[in-house]
Amino acid sequence: MRDETIPEMSKDLCSRLLTDLENAKRPVMEAVKCSLDNSNYNPKVGYLTPGDKMVRTELNVSSVQKMSRAIFLLEIFLRNLETGAVNTKRELYYIAKGEVKHNPALKPLDFLDQTESDSVIDFICEMLECYREELNCFANDRGGQTYSNQLVVTETLPDGGKAVVDLSSLGTTPFQPKNRPQSLKLKAKKKIDFCLVVESEGTANTFVSNGFCKRNNCILMGAQGVPSNAVRGWCKLIQDELDVPIYFFGDLDAYTMQNIFRTLKAGSAASLIRNSDFSAPEVRFLGVLPEDIKKYDLNDYPVKETDVGEARALKKAADALKNDPFFKDKKNKGLSEILHWLLKNKRRCEQQAFFTVDPRDPTMPEKIIIEKIKRKNYI
Amino acid sequence: MAKQKITSSSTAEYFSKNLQQVGFSSPTKAVLTTLKEAVDNSLDACEDHEILPEIDVVIEKIGTGTLKNTDLIRIKISDNGPGLDAEEVTKVFGEYLASSKFGRGRCSRGQQGIGISAATTWAQLTSAKGATVITKTKGMRQAVSARVEVDIKNNKGLLKDKKSITWDRPHGVSVEFEIDGRIQLQGEGGLLTYLNGTALVNPHLNLTYKLLDQPKQKILRVTDKGPDIPEATEPHPHTMKLGEFIAFSHLFGRVTLKVWLKKAFSRITDNTIQEFIKNGLPKKYVDESIDKLSELQFKEVFGAIHKTELMAPSTRSVMIIGEEAFSKSVRRLGEVDFFSVVTRKPTICDFKPVAVEVAIARLKNLVRDGSEGNDPPVQVLRFANRVPLQFDKSACAMVKAIETVNWRAYGLQQPKDSLPNGPYVIALSLVSPFIKFKNASKETVDASDELVEEIRRTLIQAGQRLSRHIRKETKANDLEEKLRHIEQFCPILVDCLCRITKAPAARKKKANEGLVKLLGRDINLAKKQLEEAEVHAEKAKKSGKLQVVKKDEDETKEEAPVELEAETPDVEIKEKKAKPAPKKKTEKKQIEKVD
Ligand SMILES: Nc1ncnc2c1ncn2[C@@H]1O[C@H](COP(=O)(O)OP(=O)(O)OP(=O)(O)O)[C@@H](O)[C@H]1O
Ligand SMILES: [Mg+2]
Repeated sequence: MRDETIPEMSKDLCSRLLTDLENAKRPVMEAVKCSLDNSNYNPKVGYLTPGDKMVRTELNVSSVQKMSRAIFLLEIFLRNLETGAVNTKRELYYIAKGEVKHNPALKPLDFLDQTESDSVIDFICEMLECYREELNCFANDRGGQTYSNQLVVTETLPDGGKAVVDLSSLGTTPFQPKNRPQSLKLKAKKKIDFCLVVESEGTANTFVSNGFCKRNNCILMGAQGVPSNAVRGWCKLIQDELDVPIYFFGDLDAYTMQNIFRTLKAGSAASLIRNSDFSAPEVRFLGVLPEDIKKYDLNDYPVKETDVGEARALKKAADALKNDPFFKDKKNKGLSEILHWLLKNKRRCEQQAFFTVDPRDPTMPEKIIIEKIKRKNYI
Repeated sequence: MAKQKITSSSTAEYFSKNLQQVGFSSPTKAVLTTLKEAVDNSLDACEDHEILPEIDVVIEKIGTGTLKNTDLIRIKISDNGPGLDAEEVTKVFGEYLASSKFGRGRCSRGQQGIGISAATTWAQLTSAKGATVITKTKGMRQAVSARVEVDIKNNKGLLKDKKSITWDRPHGVSVEFEIDGRIQLQGEGGLLTYLNGTALVNPHLNLTYKLLDQPKQKILRVTDKGPDIPEATEPHPHTMKLGEFIAFSHLFGRVTLKVWLKKAFSRITDNTIQEFIKNGLPKKYVDESIDKLSELQFKEVFGAIHKTELMAPSTRSVMIIGEEAFSKSVRRLGEVDFFSVVTRKPTICDFKPVAVEVAIARLKNLVRDGSEGNDPPVQVLRFANRVPLQFDKSACAMVKAIETVNWRAYGLQQPKDSLPNGPYVIALSLVSPFIKFKNASKETVDASDELVEEIRRTLIQAGQRLSRHIRKETKANDLEEKLRHIEQFCPILVDCLCRITKAPAARKKKANEGLVKLLGRDINLAKKQLEEAEVHAEKAKKSGKLQVVKKDEDETKEEAPVELEAETPDVEIKEKKAKPAPKKKTEKKQIEKVD
């Protein structure tokens, strides 16, 4: 942990910039370079960490706009931190617009659209090496609907009060994890055997309705596509606080492996500075595995190379094998072999294909999943 | 120079029924074609006799036409050319395939002996009046005025109301038609486009015109030197079609095939005739008189010639406008900001000699304010043997070539595979004694790969010259933008920083001063870059590569220093025979040069 608070760091930064200006010296803002070519992967650490490449922004006629905008938004963040107000990125975009509206002198700063303000927000985070959430900026909570008959969550509220949620009391209503995992504490009422993360939130719902959580002492979670910060932080919390094995169940295709599973397990290059709190390196890939197709006679189908999205995913997979330190590390050989298999066979198989095994038995997928866990049939 | 003999053949009936094929396909086109045929003839006649042309055009509405939706229009064109003898008048205006230009291998505007007779026919069919002609040659004491009608059945001209009159000039022809038509002034097919285009590629032309009720316009010549007319070379046999080949033989009467081939064509010697024989020319034809040969036998001769490889025709027969005259003429397009002109050395494309010239100009009146990026496509002016081509542009070799050039490399905007956008005019002139048109009405030049490539190279050269100026402008805009940036952002940045750090007013003042100092250095750098770009452009201008129009500027210098040679695309030009370079490669090279 760093020993300075965000407001302190910000003030130091501004004071340094000001001093440089007074001395007619070009101030420089430095931010971590958040890209794959600055990502390191150490199997002992388990997630992608930043290398030492920095993006230097030196003040000149071309960068003066970016710098002014950054300091302008930083002032808004500092005000929020002081008052405890929180905002989404979209709200911040409108707040910035409002400031400009009320002070015509700021007109040149005006953001034309939200992507402009978003990128300045990201720049500030990369510069201060902090999370957006630490600046009281939250994305809306998305994904991560969670069910369990054993799990109890205690949330520390902004006013210091506590809320205790016993998930078993929610029935088939899911628990929605928060973007700020730091404020949550977990406890198991009874021993929890495993946590299952299902790629499709819909399929997770089906499992619950069919009694999955009644029959198993578990935590069941829907990821809903590329995991949000909420989902990533939540998985990390479960891993750290409960020490239960976590399994991921999703489609067998390049996109799922690369974008969804890798992000869950080791974070992403775009979020290098936050991967330590937003990845769960212990999570295992339960399937669909290439071998499952034969074993359970699953319906798979060829990847349409004419489909732009699928073709791009394949190309990205090939790139990942070459450049992504996560897939290049021998610790993740099993996973990179799946990518190789996908590239070679150009076939894909969806998680829902387990429903074809016995169309009359709605619990068939559950049975297969439990069997796979028992037999350690995962990667 | 001696006057050429005018020969005639075949019937007028075909053409009277197919006038749409030769430019009379609509009332609007009828007016343009009539004007065009007459003006082209005047220019050709003056050129043949080395007279500086003075052409006067009047077009007016005088009533309603007999055809639906037409007006009765009077078109009158007068020139100061050599004039025609009274006997010739009927042939010229009333007989088809009567021409002095046939088979000469010259870059004349007219080639076929159809043009003006078709105009007479249209006039006769719509207003029952034919053409009214005044003519005077140097030798005639008085001018002759007469009406010519086409005897369609016999392909003969009929002369009516012939009388002697006194005329205001020593020699020349004036012709007047009354026809059904409609007048379109502007736009691609417009009369003004034709007239201004004609002036552009004929810098030595004095043109006055009065259209409808608009005030009379005068376009003055910008050079007193007519084009250098190359020695006419004999046609190359490979550039002819069978029909032309046979018709050409009629010009020579009773000579043996051998004599005819050697005398009437270029690149044929005794040796080549031996080659023809090897390639299937029956030996006995060689000493046969050509007027005895049947069409079938001509076909055999023609076949053997085409099977034989011959030396490419000489490029000497091609005439050009020239960069100097073209440069002066460009300014007659309107208020020109800057422009570049390139004349390529004549070369061989598809076995025919051809020369390509281009002028690219930015016109003030086309510049639209504040609509960066939404400019319409550039205006393209196409010319074949100095005649404007006004229809069917998309299939034309010239437009195709423009589309293949990467104009973005020169600072113009361009959607993919399209014409570039912006307030520019691209005038492309193709000169060749044998231009291959796509159709009989001579409106689009056939887009062969070799020709497109040659045009493309010309455009690339012109684009490079132009880009120097465009880049200078971008730099200037940059500088302005940077200055604005600084004024706007500096106070905001310092204010914010001071508020966050709670700095006192003294620090704020000092920081502001520091900031101004810092950015001042940037500005100086930008200014220096701009100056360098300016010097560059200036240099280019001096060397004749780029021309910027200033109010009080004297005429551009002609001398082309060594630098010109060194900087224009090099190897490619000199090796004429080199295969068209793969597109990508050339482009890359060009971009590197620009940098
Ligand atoms: N204004 C003129 N002054 C002198 N001679 C003329 C004039 N107009 C026409 N002629 C003569 O009349 C001939 C026939 O003209 P016409 O326009 O019919 O055919 P062309 O110009 O040879 O070919 P094209 O059909 O391609 O125009 C010309 O070849 C030229 O010798
Ligand atoms: Mg003619």
